[in-house]
Amino acid sequence: MLARSLREERRSLVGWSVGIATYCVVMLSVFPTIHDNKAFVKIFEAYPEVFRKLFNVTDFTTGPGYLGAEIFSVIAPMLLALFAILWGSDLAAGEEERGTIDLLLANPVSRRRVLLEKWVALALGTLWLGAVLEGTLGLLGPLFSLSVGWAGLSAAVLGSSAFALAFATLALAVGAASGSRGLGRGVATALAVASYLLSALAPMVSAFQRVEWLSLWNQALGHQPLTTGLRPANLAVLAVVVVVLLALSLWGYDRRDLAT
Amino acid sequence: MRELTLEVGWGEVFGFLGPNGAGKTTTIRMLLDLIRPQSGTVRLFGLDARRDAVAVHRRLGYLPGELALYERLSARETLAHFARLRGGPDEATVERWASEFDLELDRPVRALSRGNRQKVGLVGALMNEPDLLVLDEPTVGLDPLVQRTVHRRLRQAAAAGRTVFLSSHVLSEVAEVADRVGLIKDGRLIAIERVAEIRARAIHAVEVRVGAPAGLAALEGVAGVTVRERLDDGLRLEVAGGLNPLLAALAGLDVLDLSVHEPSLEEVFLSYYDGSSR
Repeated sequence: MLARSLREERRSLVGWSVGIATYCVVMLSVFPTIHDNKAFVKIFEAYPEVFRKLFNVTDFTTGPGYLGAEIFSVIAPMLLALFAILWGSDLAAGEEERGTIDLLLANPVSRRRVLLEKWVALALGTLWLGAVLEGTLGLLGPLFSLSVGWAGLSAAVLGSSAFALAFATLALAVGAASGSRGLGRGVATALAVASYLLSALAPMVSAFQRVEWLSLWNQALGHQPLTTGLRPANLAVLAVVVVVLLALSLWGYDRRDLAT
Repeated sequence: MRELTLEVGWGEVFGFLGPNGAGKTTTIRMLLDLIRPQSGTVRLFGLDARRDAVAVHRRLGYLPGELALYERLSARETLAHFARLRGGPDEATVERWASEFDLELDRPVRALSRGNRQKVGLVGALMNEPDLLVLDEPTVGLDPLVQRTVHRRLRQAAAAGRTVFLSSHVLSEVAEVADRVGLIKDGRLIAIERVAEIRARAIHAVEVRVGAPAGLAALEGVAGVTVRERLDDGLRLEVAGGLNPLLAALAGLDVLDLSVHEPSLEEVFLSYYDGSSR
């Protein structure tokens, strides 16, 4: 089933990989014009503080600063999350909506095993896209005079992947408990965006500051991983969230009447 | 579904007969643990349908009523996928079943006709020769030749001591293969009968035309016979409780034409409702 799931998604995986790699190359190709350009530094210093915080603009002219602002501030983590949420919402609810689950479960496999194997495929797929992201930036960066440490890059990619996997597992849980793909997608996407906004606006809105820790975005990417590296405590929080959501998915799916 | 108590034994073909929407598919999906009864238990091979689902499914072949297959896979890939999950059979066996049902294995499922999809489902259910076959409307969409192949295979399975549980809304199909029949309507099992008894109780519509109409008067007093319509040279009759008395009476007449219509499902059910009030 694991292999089957990966095969089913292979076209989607290839498409997303190409898309992400292309996006990275485009962003990288702009960097040489910005790198060591004092005029840009002045422009960004002239921007309001609010703007710089919102878009994670720290030091645009260095490799980590540029990637932090252009790649990891919104786009890359959200792309990974979107990919993973679409897959996650389909994991349980898709076969139910299409009606193929009847035949699959008539085989000697438990509902839990079906869900677990499909989830492992999803996790591998998400990690694969993360690896594409990391490989493109890390290997092609130097060609565009962008240097970034592997440790920082890995921390940012891992944070993005963990963020994506958490909301994909949420989409799975909602889909498994309700049988509706749309509901899983909707809830997970809305909460992922809310999580980002909470983290992005917290520096400016004092009411958000106190609850900023609630944001999984903040746990995954809120501490400048490109420069400060991996923080095991934050990743552990994400891992716990994923495990709890996965357990809820199994529980919700196991106890339910499946629709025709 | 309400109050359904039913036991089916080894080597038996049990037909589950009822109109669409009577609760056949609901019952069958309970056997498969796809849905759970609000109360009561479902046991197969003495095992609990829910707790021991994996062990039960190892010995069971299932054809859903609303068959949905993976559109992007070919029939071969679909069957291979299920064979891997089941631990068998090998590809040669799958090919043998496919050729028996005249099924093309290498076309994608989305390009297959309704009947060919049904064949994929049937081969999937039959290929492991499981101890129990649960088939929801197995011959829907199949041409008569393949229907006969299916029926022959089901009788063979029963002869080998395996059990077949099939549902249908067509009496003739159930009558063709089943030993016993459960009649289900509005979620209730209203009777369990041997096929022969259902035939005997069913009301047949008979039309008879004779050379000498004067003799027709002899038919009017025959047991179980009711005259529905008088024709110039014959009668339209309803015959309850078997055709023998009528045939005996016809023996003395100059019969030109005789047609006997299979009772419709509604008529079968009516005979049971009438029977309970009689």
